[in-house]
Amino acid sequence: MSTTRQQLTAAFTQQLLALWAMVRVRFAKAARRLKGVIIAATNQAGPALASAATQVAQTWRQLRSAALWHEIRLRPLPMKHVRLLVITDDLPQTSLTLAETESFHPDTRPPAEQLLSGIPGRDYRAIYQQAHVRLEKIAKVVPVDAAPDLDAVRVIEHDALCTINEQLNERWAEASRFEEGFRRIDEQDRFVREQQAALENFSNLKIDLGALRNKTRFLDFYVGVVPRENVSRLQGAVTLADHLLFTYLEREQSTHVVIVGPRNEKEGQLASVLSSASFQSLPIPAGLENASPAHKYDELTAERDQLQTERDTLQAEVEAWEQTHRDFLRSARQALLMAAPFVTLDPSIRSAGHLAVVCGWVPARALAELEARLRASLALPFELEHRDPHPAERALVPTVAASHRLLSPFAMLVKQYGIPQYGEVDPTPLFAVTFLLMFGSMFGDLGQGAVIAGLAWIARAKLGLFYRFGVMAGLSSMCFGVLYGSLFGYEEILPALWMSPIHHPILMLQIALGYGVLFITLACGLAISNRLAVKAVAAAVFGHHGLVNLVFYLALVWGAVGLATSGHFGTAPLVLAIGALMALAGYAWSHLQAPLGEKILVVFIETLETVIGYTSNTLSFLRVAAFSLNHAALSLAVLTLAGMMGPAGHLITVILGNVFVIVLEGGIVMIQVMRLQYYEGFSRYFSGDGRAFAPLRLRRRAVGSS
Amino acid sequence: MSRQREPYLHTRISALTERLIAPDEVATLCGLSLSELAQRFGLERLLEEPHERRAKSRSVKQALINTLLNELRILIRPMNAAEAGLILAWGRKYALFNLKTLLRGKLYALNQDEIRANLYELPEHVRLPQQELFQAEGVLELLRKLEQGPYSLIAKQGREVFEQKREPFALEAALDQRYYLEMTRRLQQVPGSSQDELKQLLGAVLDRVGLLWLLRFRFSYGLSPSETFYQLVPSVRLLHRERLLALVNLDSFEEIIVALPEPMKTDLAGSQGLIEVQQRLGGHVTRVSRRILANGQSGVARALAYLILREHGVLMLFSLVQGHLLGLPRELVEIAVEAQPPNCPLPLPSAA
Repeated sequence: MSTTRQQLTAAFTQQLLALWAMVRVRFAKAARRLKGVIIAATNQAGPALASAATQVAQTWRQLRSAALWHEIRLRPLPMKHVRLLVITDDLPQTSLTLAETESFHPDTRPPAEQLLSGIPGRDYRAIYQQAHVRLEKIAKVVPVDAAPDLDAVRVIEHDALCTINEQLNERWAEASRFEEGFRRIDEQDRFVREQQAALENFSNLKIDLGALRNKTRFLDFYVGVVPRENVSRLQGAVTLADHLLFTYLEREQSTHVVIVGPRNEKEGQLASVLSSASFQSLPIPAGLENASPAHKYDELTAERDQLQTERDTLQAEVEAWEQTHRDFLRSARQALLMAAPFVTLDPSIRSAGHLAVVCGWVPARALAELEARLRASLALPFELEHRDPHPAERALVPTVAASHRLLSPFAMLVKQYGIPQYGEVDPTPLFAVTFLLMFGSMFGDLGQGAVIAGLAWIARAKLGLFYRFGVMAGLSSMCFGVLYGSLFGYEEILPALWMSPIHHPILMLQIALGYGVLFITLACGLAISNRLAVKAVAAAVFGHHGLVNLVFYLALVWGAVGLATSGHFGTAPLVLAIGALMALAGYAWSHLQAPLGEKILVVFIETLETVIGYTSNTLSFLRVAAFSLNHAALSLAVLTLAGMMGPAGHLITVILGNVFVIVLEGGIVMIQVMRLQYYEGFSRYFSGDGRAFAPLRLRRRAVGSS
Repeated sequence: MSRQREPYLHTRISALTERLIAPDEVATLCGLSLSELAQRFGLERLLEEPHERRAKSRSVKQALINTLLNELRILIRPMNAAEAGLILAWGRKYALFNLKTLLRGKLYALNQDEIRANLYELPEHVRLPQQELFQAEGVLELLRKLEQGPYSLIAKQGREVFEQKREPFALEAALDQRYYLEMTRRLQQVPGSSQDELKQLLGAVLDRVGLLWLLRFRFSYGLSPSETFYQLVPSVRLLHRERLLALVNLDSFEEIIVALPEPMKTDLAGSQGLIEVQQRLGGHVTRVSRRILANGQSGVARALAYLILREHGVLMLFSLVQGHLLGLPRELVEIAVEAQPPNCPLPLPSAA
């Protein structure tokens, strides 16, 4: 049996190899033929082709400069602080124009000038918010277009906003009646269901229900439903009014009770208590003693059907109402969208008399256009002052995020860590490149990469922008698959362009270490650059991952390479490493305010931590090689298992094994790469405590209600 | 159970206890000037601001409440969910003040600025969704909005009562009642080891509230026994359900005082009216809180005892500041802070 399976597997493999050889031969033939055709065509249409090639190259250069490199940048866009002085009457138009440019990020700091204490938009804001809330409440009853087209952008004056608010108030009064109507029907429906539930209990009672239905001369009866949490207190209260309370049914949050007692002057007191306890009287069905419960149940079902009819009628009324007021609600939404910029800007506006000041941040390259737009739209004079951000304001300056579509999913991941502070290097491009490099090298397989890219492409509607991340990760995996010669774990089908990791483990580990050294050096370089950008020279030289740290690290690497190759650490690297450590210790000593013993301890531990930290962080990159070996080993295990099966079993094992590898190992590799990025990279050079550029925009759906 | 089981919480409470005002300090504080009080309790900045008297008073009260609720937040950090839930339920009384202000504003159609001026800024853990509630067009809409959050039970009860009766009194009574019922409900969820001390403490609070409401509803508002009973919250200690049933059926103030269980009966013997009862019962709650704070073994019970005493202290401090701001005579201020019995020595008919 075992021999037969081995024979089958061998035959299957041979067939596959033969098929692959045939494909390769045919592909090579086709490639040679195509090459011949191209050469012939080139000879025939040389000048035309040369011209076309020049045009293509030119277009490519244009595209490259316009679309890619302008948007992929390491430093944030230079920003300017602007101070706009306008006449108060022009404020609504100003805010609208600023919103249209989408380049003005409001600065909400109070002004330095004492005179500018007035807040002119406060009343407008309150009315806007009331109108906005009313429209949102109406939108819960009938559909209201959330973002209608703004055909003609215009200023919404205070009076117009008041009128819209009043009209919305009237519409909400009507819409709330519908809401109340639905609520009433639901409540009645619930009550009928309670009656249906009580029906069986009534029919089982061995008493004259007719007598219970009508109050007698001496006895007083109440049968009804009360919220469960009120029963105990109600029981005590009715006892004080000389009545008794019996519970005969409990359902969800309500309890069915019978209250009985003598008729006397305390009856009035009881009515008040029952009202406080939210007691709802249940009518005892007439004729229950003569008719069957099923008949009564049907009557109640008919009552519920009637309620459903009422609900449908009310729904039709709502739809008719919506038709009547659709245009108004749409225009109200448009008006509120156009009023929103002024409201958003409100906290940034200060005024004195007829003069108002608005401050904010604008990308330097958008300043000219902003001024031109203001000049074109404002009727009254204005003044626009601008300046570079002061060093002390750096933390307040917003950062314009990387906007290239290829980088957008990586920008989302960077944002999970933080937003680059103004002046800091934006790590997104570097993150994207190193992420793809590490993911591909740790999960290199042409077939599995294609599956990841394909799945991401298929699910692009659900994944949104994130699908590009999956596609690129898959493509990277495919590239490394070609380099490693790995196709769904098979290493015999595809010839490796470079090498198979599992056959060269030591080399892989050496490359991973080299990559780690490069990565850490680059991260330290960025940390130094970031500090120099904010003029923190001492921190750039002596701070964590600063210049002295980098010198120490490179000396350590130099020494380690010497140790590995010639068996000696070397004098020069040793002197450099010790010198750097001494400098770090001296710097820490001079900045520490503590008793002598504590100072010695802290400086010693910090210095030791530097040595251990850099060593362990570099070794941490061994995981890049380890996972590429792991991936190959897992695939080998899957194929070994598959080799023990028949053809069908072989196929199933290979498929399930690949699914297992993609899901489990793919997930682990993703986590490991993120860990290396966040911990070994970002924590060195990226503070992440910047502010995102959030310009005033016209199409804001909702303005914060606070 | 010992304090060693919750060392962090007990240490925190002990450290905070330093901030409490000792009973023998009250008389000294009554003799201090406004600037001396401000200096001693760090209120200089608030009192020096050039605001009108009402705004000053408001900002002082706001600052004191914030201090109390920030301490509450610190104390609940090491507690488990049930314990923290109980302490938070206690702290929600300030949110309830805001809710009542909002409801009154809606009931009497006050303008938004006026309502806003009477609301407290509360920390996030006890805050109402105020802005959202502000935008409600009426009481029912406001309560329906509130039903979608941690105040759902309070809001539901209030709405049902308001829908039935349409009376502001019934609505506020229902809200207060639900607040205390929520406390007793939370108490049942706390682990058994803390229950005994918590019952003593909350029992004292609920006994006080129960008796005051009983006397007020029966004799000030003239409600029937059954109506009165329905509005009461049975205590977990002396004034439990059966005792309340017996007490509400009595027809006079004196009969009720005589029928009270010990030690309430002795404490209240000879009381002449509701104010005196209120003051003596307040003293009882303070004594129980001090005892549990000093000798208690349960962290959550000691934390609650501390908060009750701290609240008493900050309100007393506010009364002192308010007395100075209003220019009231020292004798009246001493009555307000319970340093003197409530027998007004001054010929002021309105204060008598």
